[in-house]
Amino acid sequence: MKLKNKFFLLIVFVLILINTYHYIIPLFVDSSEKNLKNETVAFTIHSNDLLRAYSKNEEKTDTIYTNKIIEVIGTVKEISFLNSRNTVILQSNSNTFGVICDVNSAEKEKIKTLKENQKIIVKGLCKGFLKDVILLNCSIEIL
Amino acid sequence: MNKFLLLFLILFSFSNFSPKENQFIARLGQVSFFSYTSVENIEAKNNQVVSILDTDKKEIAVSMIMRAFVFKKDLMYEHFNESYIESDIYPKASFEGKIKDFDTDLKGKQTKIIHGSITIHGITKEVDIKTVIDNSDGNYIVSGSFDVEVKDFQIKIPPILSSNIAKTISIKFKFQYKPYEE
Repeated sequence: MKLKNKFFLLIVFVLILINTYHYIIPLFVDSSEKNLKNETVAFTIHSNDLLRAYSKNEEKTDTIYTNKIIEVIGTVKEISFLNSRNTVILQSNSNTFGVICDVNSAEKEKIKTLKENQKIIVKGLCKGFLKDVILLNCSIEIL
Repeated sequence: MNKFLLLFLILFSFSNFSPKENQFIARLGQVSFFSYTSVENIEAKNNQVVSILDTDKKEIAVSMIMRAFVFKKDLMYEHFNESYIESDIYPKASFEGKIKDFDTDLKGKQTKIIHGSITIHGITKEVDIKTVIDNSDGNYIVSGSFDVEVKDFQIKIPPILSSNIAKTISIKFKFQYKPYEE
């Protein structure tokens, strides 16, 4: 009887722990600066191919890439620190379109060393397409 | 006759290549919203809002991805996208409007009313927004704030959470424009 009780208590305890992990902790975690460096990548794609896919069929491409962690290979078009964000814009074949990468603040120093037309790999969470493809929480790898 | 046609064609093609002088674009526009209640304050920011300003037609267009709003907490982001905005069905919000009595020659700041329609959660509503337009050296900065009612956009909030989310949400925006090159 006593053993059964202990077992029951243990289960309750484990359940509370699981609950804490899944529901309580997220309430206090600041998700705005999540680092994706160690997350697995769903797709690796060149910026030109990514934009071609989006401009051809946005809806279909959205279902493939949106909310996935992707790696984009491309060249730097512009670096901006507007609104105290660290933004790198990647080039594409067309002047109108690009890839906007909102880079993790931990990599600010790395961005400062970037130059125009430099080839880089950006890993980030794809959010969709407006005039540009938008990637958030990015980390950068210099080639 | 043929020469004229050729000249005309050359002129025409040249005029096509020159950048549109009356169009401006902001790719890194900032839109944020706030919900203040006694239980909790919710704040979200989107730093990748695109906007195009046409100084000829005195028109402004804005488009944003709802999933690009960044919240303090994961759970807020999840509720916002899954339950309230339903970002899978309505991934974007947009605004189109006309700036009333916009004086494009005036340098410096001017406060104007923009009348237009805003689309959130698939529902379009007409609004008047007071904005400050700052014109310096041919670059424009447009900023302002306005309020929206949650119920106007048929956003359903479960009764248990209704005390956490304000009935009126205040929205702030700031766009810094550059000449638009195609």
